[in-house]
Amino acid sequence: MRLIRQSAVLLLAILSASCAKQADSGDYLERARRLHQEVPMVDTHNDLPWVVFAEGGGQFERFDPDQSLPSIDTDVPRLKEGLVGGQFWAAYVPSLFMEHGAAMPTLGQIDLIHRMIERSPTLEYATTADDIVRIHKTGKIASLIGIEGGHSIDNSLAVLRMFHELGVRYLTLTHSATIPWADAATDVATHGGLSRFGEEVVREMNRIGMMVDLSHVSDATMSDALRVSEAPVIFSHSSARALADHVRNVPDSILTQVAKNGGVVMINFFPGFLDPQAAQEAAGVLQMEREIKAKHPNDPNAAAAEFATYIRNFRTNDATLAQVADHIEHITKVAGVDHVGLGADYASLGQHPIGLENVSRYPYLSAELLRRGWNDDDVKKVIGLNLLRVMRSVEQTAATLRQSRPASAATIEELDGATGSRP
Amino acid sequence: MSSLRSRLVPSAALVAGVVLLSGALAGCTKLPADTTLLERARQFHREVPLIDGHNDLSSAVLSTGKGSFEHFDPDKGLPDLDTDIPRLRTGLVGGQFWSAYVPSSLMGQGAGIFALQQIDAIRRMVARSPSLEFAVTADEIVRIHKEGKIASLIGIEGGHAIENSLPALRQFHTLGVRYMTLTHGATTPWADAATDEARHGGLTRFGEEVVREMNRLGMLVDLSHVSDGTMSDALRVSEAPVIFSHSSARALADHVRNVPDSILARLPANGGVVMINFFPGFIDPQAAREAAGVLQKEREFKAQFPNDPKAAGEAFGAWIRNFRTNDATLAQVADHVEHVRKVAGVDHVGIGADYAGLGQHPIGLDDVTRYPYLTAELLRRGWSDEDVKKVLGLNVLRAMRGAEQVAIRLRQSRPASTATIEELDRPE
Repeated sequence: MRLIRQSAVLLLAILSASCAKQADSGDYLERARRLHQEVPMVDTHNDLPWVVFAEGGGQFERFDPDQSLPSIDTDVPRLKEGLVGGQFWAAYVPSLFMEHGAAMPTLGQIDLIHRMIERSPTLEYATTADDIVRIHKTGKIASLIGIEGGHSIDNSLAVLRMFHELGVRYLTLTHSATIPWADAATDVATHGGLSRFGEEVVREMNRIGMMVDLSHVSDATMSDALRVSEAPVIFSHSSARALADHVRNVPDSILTQVAKNGGVVMINFFPGFLDPQAAQEAAGVLQMEREIKAKHPNDPNAAAAEFATYIRNFRTNDATLAQVADHIEHITKVAGVDHVGLGADYASLGQHPIGLENVSRYPYLSAELLRRGWNDDDVKKVIGLNLLRVMRSVEQTAATLRQSRPASAATIEELDGATGSRP
Repeated sequence: MSSLRSRLVPSAALVAGVVLLSGALAGCTKLPADTTLLERARQFHREVPLIDGHNDLSSAVLSTGKGSFEHFDPDKGLPDLDTDIPRLRTGLVGGQFWSAYVPSSLMGQGAGIFALQQIDAIRRMVARSPSLEFAVTADEIVRIHKEGKIASLIGIEGGHAIENSLPALRQFHTLGVRYMTLTHGATTPWADAATDEARHGGLTRFGEEVVREMNRLGMLVDLSHVSDGTMSDALRVSEAPVIFSHSSARALADHVRNVPDSILARLPANGGVVMINFFPGFIDPQAAREAAGVLQKEREFKAQFPNDPKAAGEAFGAWIRNFRTNDATLAQVADHVEHVRKVAGVDHVGIGADYAGLGQHPIGLDDVTRYPYLTAELLRRGWSDEDVKKVLGLNVLRAMRGAEQVAIRLRQSRPASTATIEELDRPE
């Protein structure tokens, strides 16, 4: 509570400092809150499920998101306070599991998310844009599933399809490591983007109605996916590279392609992806996973735990709420206001921009946009309507493609050769 | 048969008279399964869904069809196999559990992913077929059968598919899996198989937790393939009726894959069902001796392909399809049905033919068109209409409804289990 009050005071200070003809900031916040009630604010990336798994052994009795979780930045009470209308929960399994088989641990995370939703009086399971709108109107938080890392499908389109059946509505093509069919931003480029099988994965995602998520992938993978995808893509948690030069961010050249594709870049709140100096400091943050992996060659669980601790304790130069707004405005400038949204990446990182310390703070960001003179319609696009538009388009593309072609029976061996172009 | 029918066509009254007469004769004399009995049998298949507990067609979709239906179309004929959809229709099958079989050679080497691939193949096969419809409850089977389609369900064959993970078990249930055979040919880390070393004396503590979680979910516990110790443990632990999805009576064919009388005797208390397997090696006493080592053979293939468990699985599949023993007959299958009726009661027997996995069938039950002939044989033996319907499908429907109700109750009273095998089976 004290933290919130301090932050509010700080925000006020920032606001008054940056704007001379400042109207009452309370008015902006009130207007922002009303907008959050009129349209669902949708965030596309929160890592709470991994925390429940790693810290609570998957047991909600030990780690209950419906109660206050003061040790982290996310819990259901604060999501309500933050007027979140829709949340994509990450079914994240570290790249460290790649050689050991990541699909089954991913199945475990999907199970955990389903259990978290079922037991909560506040969360409700959703798989479509219409679900999100309906659930938001009832005052609950629409809860969706995204898988973070293409290694989770273990090179199997059948597994991809079954994940879709289980409710997964986006797949981030890679996490930190290059996988047998796609290059990651923070690893060696072994395929020059997507392999042929990687392209087939994108097409099959289009056919089944799963959003292609290009956060974490290399520029070439972004480019290949934008070329191949028959539906709009997302970046579930990435910011603008022009403002913070980190490979995890989206370069302007891709932003213009996103506009043509109809996709949306969901801004990440990690200071290392927001502030130019922090970006330099965070340059090697994801590569650290490989160093830790080398220390635990046969124990991916131990490596994953150490990497998670490292990430949570990682600190860079500070960033501010205003800088997040700057990233939103940069993407608006380059790609257009129809192509930006929010994917804060809460529950995985220990550092947040000043003013956006936890999930209760989203309305302050909306208020900042209003303060900068944004109209209500454009703010609504950023907080949710853009993502809903992408989802609906992906749903319609799938409905069409399912009529015109059968499920793909392609294999990686077939398309990429017996050995593939494996790293 | 067709000539007899054409001679009868001219007069409906004559037909009715002959039907009545042969019906009466069938009761007191020992006629072969003639047209009349067969017609009566077919009528029963229309009144209640015949539900078969085990068919391996999806394995052929993955191996022969390479996961594609382009050159392997079950809706058209599959003359190399004993199963395709046109013949299922001729056989008046109302409900089919399709087996998501996972070779034991994949244990610890991608068994879970293989199961997902099987489930995907089954779901695609069902979705594309105008004759099949996906079902997960007893009521759905009844409805789909009334609409003239074949209700299609999924059972996983082999507990190694869950890779010691209750979360995976739950997600398999979400994907539509409604039974799981606790083992296949090999003992798993938590359950002894009939055809492998008994390492646990039945179920481990984690194995018991798997059974309890299956009860809570509403997934039938399938005890085909498991050791007697596992059968006994599962019957003790399970709060819902169990099934044997494809096993016969050990008293008539002494094979460890069959169910001994001591276990049959416990079925009335449990409410479960033994679904008779048609494999000659599990039907005929001499064939049973010849087939004694048939499932152990998988381990030889595993040794042959130490680094390619998938190839080992496929080599075993091809081998078992070519495996031959002494012949068995349709009448012997009926004998097994009657033996289970005698020991466990008529409420505890059903049919799980195990088509599409094996190359040899009893004479008279050569493919999936032949189920009505078995039904007719029971009628010929003087079975009552009601009892025949129980064997065809009503018993399994009752076991399913029992499991569904137990699940509703247990979901109210306890949360999903977060137990792990490390926690429960930690070495002393």
